[in-house]
Amino acid sequence: MLLTVTLTLLEGLGTTLKLFALTLLFALPLGLVIALGAMSRIAPLRWLVSTVVWVVRGTPLMIQILILFYGPGLLFDLPLLPRFGAALLSFVINYACYFSEIYRGGIQSIPRGQYEAGEVLGMTRSQIFFKVTLLQVVKRIVPPMGNEFITLVKDTALVRVISVYEIIWMGESYIKKGMIWPLFYTAVFYLAVNGVLTLLFRQAEKKLDYFR
Amino acid sequence: MRKWKKAVSLLLTGAMALSFAACGGTASSASGAASASGAAGSSEAESAADSAAASENVASSADSDLAYVQDKGTLVVGMTDFAPMDYRDENGEWIGFDADMAKAFAEYLGVEVEFLEINWDNKLMELDAKGVDAIWNGMTITDEVTSGASVSEPYCNNGQVVVLPADKAADYQDVDSLSGLNFAVENGSAGAEQLDALGIAYVAKTTQADALMEVASGASDACVIDLLMAGAMIGEGTSYPDLTYTVQLNSEEYGVGFRKGSDLVDAFNTFWQEAYDDGTVMEVAAAYGVQESVIEK
Amino acid sequence: MPVLQVKNIEKHFGPTRVLEDISFDLEQGQALAIIGSSGSGKTTLLRCLNFLETPDRGQIVVNGETLFDAADPATQREAEVRRKRLHFGLVFQSFNLFPQYTALQNVMLAKQLLAQEQPGYKARKKELHAAIEAEARQLLGRMGLAGRANHYPHQLSGGQQQRVAIARALALHPDILCFDEPTSALDPELTGEVLKVIRALAEQKTTMMIVTHEMAFARDVADQVIFMDGGVIVEQGPARQLIERPRQERTKQFLARYAQER
Repeated sequence: MLLTVTLTLLEGLGTTLKLFALTLLFALPLGLVIALGAMSRIAPLRWLVSTVVWVVRGTPLMIQILILFYGPGLLFDLPLLPRFGAALLSFVINYACYFSEIYRGGIQSIPRGQYEAGEVLGMTRSQIFFKVTLLQVVKRIVPPMGNEFITLVKDTALVRVISVYEIIWMGESYIKKGMIWPLFYTAVFYLAVNGVLTLLFRQAEKKLDYFR
Repeated sequence: MRKWKKAVSLLLTGAMALSFAACGGTASSASGAASASGAAGSSEAESAADSAAASENVASSADSDLAYVQDKGTLVVGMTDFAPMDYRDENGEWIGFDADMAKAFAEYLGVEVEFLEINWDNKLMELDAKGVDAIWNGMTITDEVTSGASVSEPYCNNGQVVVLPADKAADYQDVDSLSGLNFAVENGSAGAEQLDALGIAYVAKTTQADALMEVASGASDACVIDLLMAGAMIGEGTSYPDLTYTVQLNSEEYGVGFRKGSDLVDAFNTFWQEAYDDGTVMEVAAAYGVQESVIEK
Repeated sequence: MPVLQVKNIEKHFGPTRVLEDISFDLEQGQALAIIGSSGSGKTTLLRCLNFLETPDRGQIVVNGETLFDAADPATQREAEVRRKRLHFGLVFQSFNLFPQYTALQNVMLAKQLLAQEQPGYKARKKELHAAIEAEARQLLGRMGLAGRANHYPHQLSGGQQQRVAIARALALHPDILCFDEPTSALDPELTGEVLKVIRALAEQKTTMMIVTHEMAFARDVADQVIFMDGGVIVEQGPARQLIERPRQERTKQFLARYAQER
């Protein structure tokens, strides 16, 4: 029984991890674009981006998932997105907004003097970004990013509201057969994944520990 | 909207023509029949005739839900794992009284059936947004369901019963004795309506099974679930041997939900009558031990 | 001809006028000290020369070439500003070393990036890199930091960091090396080692502008001194004469107040 349950849960974990990985793949670069928009010199763009970030961060992810999946059909009688696609889209948008704030905080925490030192040494803007500030930003955002990654792993459980069969859905399906423990057993898988993430982030922090 | 549907049906007709061509000569006459009737959804040559018959009444309307389902060639049935109505056999195939009848209904319509496990809380939204075409899962006909969906004529009798640990059952044999208990019940279910009517407070859960788990774990004293489910899931020889059911709070009926105003309701009622008359309904019901609940037609 | 000619520079921050009609020349091989109380505009002046601020009026001429003319937007194009900057070097009050690079890498970085833009860089990569590294090591040696080349900034004292910063500025061979209060962020016991390095540069006839609060140092090391107050040049003259026998009343007051605080 343990084996059957484990295999079923692993199937759900596959979906969970796929959602996790694809969300990162798209949300990490998108977050940087949003961060640059939020820091733009063009005021209307800045306002627009800040408003979007405010709305996305200020509303529950679950509602965003429901709106993105059911909204097109309910409001406009349009065909629905695939369930996983809608889930992924809402996660990418939501997490890109969170990431953007982390990027922005990291970029703005770099002292002006670092930019000025680069400038008086004749560096271009992009040289200053890539050669001077980027690594310092990375060092500053690694700890908050670690938090977000771990939260993301757990947030994936929300997609079962639109019937994406992730690991908790699989665990819950056993309740109908009178088995409660598979649901609790799912926690072990989350713990394992987040354990790996924690180690990786600790490694990254250690790697960046050589400078201050 | 109209254009879009036309485009899709054109596309499907094209795809069909290709697949028939691949099948060879035997299918050519069926293909002719399907296109003559204007129904573009059938992918099974054998059922094309049925399909034509069923769609003749309604396919003329552009807003026909039946035509929509036949255009896309699949009937998506929203359900949950809910024995003995819908559950998986050892090969992972969906079976059960509802599942088998849904397969028969899809065949009658000339389309494929697709079972989709949904979050039952969102069943009405799934219907409206066209995530599914029917909600068919031992569903009690409640005010919530009839206000959000068009429901078929009832096909099964059911009731709501109070479930509690067997060792306490003796003290709670009538409705008046229930007020001292902490209840768990599926959110928005027929059982919840009964408790509301009695003025008894409760903890709302996502599924009946969750409510049952509350009682099994001792978190709640009792829960209210379907008689059909109670019969299958609790008592000796089941997963919950220490639980039993006592008071039956009401009598109610199961129905199949379709989109508000859908012509699939009429199609279903006609199909069910035919299936009842030729003995299919009772035959399938007997296979899953629910024949006593089936409503006579 | 002077290396640097500053003509009628004026700068406002909003309604506040921080620089007013600033004009002076600087000769090759000379050290110019700029003194004055904080808020007198001396740091802003230095930042204008290094294109960190844009003057509202005036011209900056280096070796006869007009690098900046407030009246001529063509002199303010981004791409050219970058090249023009290289006429100046700037040592900051707070060092601003790049924390993720070693002392040696800090000195080499800008030069390497410039080298990469040269045609034929790829073919001569190794050779160029070796030359840049050799020069950087030699510069660090001159700063007395030969043994610290592979240290990261946080492993160095403030005085050592500032000396790395000086080497970093020198690596690009600026025509004029500017210091913005180079010892103000240092503990008193560490100022000596930095002043010593600057004194040595003066002895080697490096053209320099030094914004400083160290009066004795200005008197001993600089050739010329400018006293600024309220955004204008109050007095300008040979270092010893200006500090020991100032002519203007405001200069006298400033120096007297300064001597008292000591």
